[in-house]
Amino acid sequence: MPQLPNWINLVEKEPPEDLAMDVVSLAALNTGTIVPELLVIGTLLLVLLADLLSGRQASRWTPYLAVVGLIGAVVSLGFQWNMPVAEGFLGSFQADHLGILFRGLVALAGALSILMAIRYVNEAGSALGEYMTILLVATVGGMFLAGSDEMVMVFVALETLGLASYLLAGYMKRDVRSNEAALKYLLIGATSSAIFLYGLSLLYGLSGGETRLSAIAQQLARQDISQSLGVLMALVFVIAGIAFKLSAVPFHQWTPDVYEGSPTPVVAFLSVGSKAAGFALAIRLLVTVFPGATEQWQFVFESLAILSMVLGNVVALTQTSLKRLLAYSSIGQAGFLMIGLAIGTPEGYASILFYAFIYLFTNLGAFACVILFSLRAGTDEINEYAGLYQKDPLLTLGLSLCLLSLGGIPPLSGFFGKLYIFWAGWQAGAYTLVLVGLVTSVISIYYYIRVVRMIVVKEPQEMSLAVQNYPALTWDMAGLPELRATLIACVVVTAVAGLLANPLLTLANNAVTSTPFLQPQIQVAQK
Amino acid sequence: MTLADGVQIVSFAILGVMMVSAALGVVLLNNIVYSAFLLGGVFISLSGLYVLLNADFVAAAQILIYVGAVNVLILFAIMLVNKREVFVPLPRTGLRNLLTTFVCFGLLGLLGTMILTTPWAVNLGAHPDSSIVRIGQHFFNGFLLPFELASVLLLMALIGAVVIARRELVPEPEFPQGPSLSLPERPRTEVPTLAGRNEQ
Repeated sequence: MPQLPNWINLVEKEPPEDLAMDVVSLAALNTGTIVPELLVIGTLLLVLLADLLSGRQASRWTPYLAVVGLIGAVVSLGFQWNMPVAEGFLGSFQADHLGILFRGLVALAGALSILMAIRYVNEAGSALGEYMTILLVATVGGMFLAGSDEMVMVFVALETLGLASYLLAGYMKRDVRSNEAALKYLLIGATSSAIFLYGLSLLYGLSGGETRLSAIAQQLARQDISQSLGVLMALVFVIAGIAFKLSAVPFHQWTPDVYEGSPTPVVAFLSVGSKAAGFALAIRLLVTVFPGATEQWQFVFESLAILSMVLGNVVALTQTSLKRLLAYSSIGQAGFLMIGLAIGTPEGYASILFYAFIYLFTNLGAFACVILFSLRAGTDEINEYAGLYQKDPLLTLGLSLCLLSLGGIPPLSGFFGKLYIFWAGWQAGAYTLVLVGLVTSVISIYYYIRVVRMIVVKEPQEMSLAVQNYPALTWDMAGLPELRATLIACVVVTAVAGLLANPLLTLANNAVTSTPFLQPQIQVAQK
Repeated sequence: MTLADGVQIVSFAILGVMMVSAALGVVLLNNIVYSAFLLGGVFISLSGLYVLLNADFVAAAQILIYVGAVNVLILFAIMLVNKREVFVPLPRTGLRNLLTTFVCFGLLGLLGTMILTTPWAVNLGAHPDSSIVRIGQHFFNGFLLPFELASVLLLMALIGAVVIARRELVPEPEFPQGPSLSLPERPRTEVPTLAGRNEQ
């Protein structure tokens, strides 16, 4: 045995089992855990083949195929809910209830942003088939990310989601703003992936060559190094990688430019689907791997939440483009969601799920309105919305309701989401977070109402040029009925979900209490 | 110290010096072509380190992928751009460089402290003769799912590369075009959208 330096600590470890011996049978893989993802992958292959075989004619029906596939994935997730919790692929993937709900959110976001995109992509003169293929791959990546329980799987899923997002951001090739968005997103995303990967490699080394999250935690606890400098460095690097996906301040610099330049349906997906997957990853990774450093990561997320709420909501005040305003508002909303992560109680996690569900429909509804207006008027500037209510009542109603719900005005669902998240924070004693959240909510109401006021100005002479030239309302063009259906569905859910909050909250609470990896946290909270 | 140990230490020292000096050259040289070639040097020295660590497959993959593909691609990109441009030095670069150096050395110090103070868990299990067999077993065992997902990722990357690289024929819209719809993405030679749209 070679002489080793004294700083190397030999770990007693079983000799690596002979892998050739245990032949893995198909049943041991538990393939049933990834049936929803397999459905989506099958759908994307079908869409690709149909586009290849029958050319651009296929784009008349492939969007429905894609949406049916995603709805099928959501339904099969519903079936999975009632099955016993199983780990698939020898621990690479966990089909627990928290993961199921987040995967459902990602799939729903994918389905809605395909429906929104049909007219837009066609109008912009780009191919729809490839757009849907890449979006479906992004959805698959997000769904896998929400359930992966092993570092290699986490990274591959993260890169699948990331690469697909960069491609989608640059999908409008002839638009320089889209090119800029894609390039910025790619460069910053690659940097943050590298930092995240460095954190993962530190964890691999510290745990003596483990890649499963639970095994890493066990090894760290066994060597009693949960508070050592190495683990804390790994924690910092991992959080930096995750915070990029959540676009938390100070890792948010890409957000406004990417949101402004990317095609609007893509922004809608990024703001909801990508973020939901990021939160699922954050909860699973931090709770499983770093139980010994809980105070540290909760403190980091407390600071990130305060910074995001303050900066996102304050900078949104000065925006003139609605897409940019929604970008900063999404930074602020991520700050509200991070309150649930920072307090780390079961109610906190349940409130993240509940708020993410409401935010999905509200934000997608707002983006559907932005798409519709830019299709009809060709602009995203807030000033150009002036006087819209005289020309387009549906758009006015939808946009007003969605924006007011984002601001948290009482009868709408956004209010209940915020109420529950603030209540959970107050219960956990995070008074600073809740107070900052309340103040910044008031600020956010100001800029949301500013847009609504712009839409409903009374005098005809204040009407903007775009609204004066507003085309006649027609819905008979291909892709527009789908957009209208999405818009109405999102607005209805936004308006009604608050009143039906009870079953949704019960669902979220059940998911949290029945998820195995959250059990230690729940026991701590009960004491 | 046996002869094998001595050879190992000497080759580690040579590779380390090669790698650090090449990496410094990548960062500090002004000519981007030199930087790109030196980056290849960094990759090759790194693969030498992998060989010292018994990771023969990773070393080969490092040379094939990073030197053979990535670095050559970088050189192609530089040669295709090939734009002679005189860069005016930015004002106050000195302060900026000083700050960067400070941050980099701070990070180096922090990571160095971390590496030296951490009791690393070393797994002294028997080393298999060939790492390729072991990697193959892992691919069809614990890493089966990421391995399969990577194929979806590669398919998407392929499609994405085609989407980015293909010449864009502006297709006539598949669906009947309404009179009033226009997006900023669509190339327009006419007057601005809103003013003259109805006359078109």
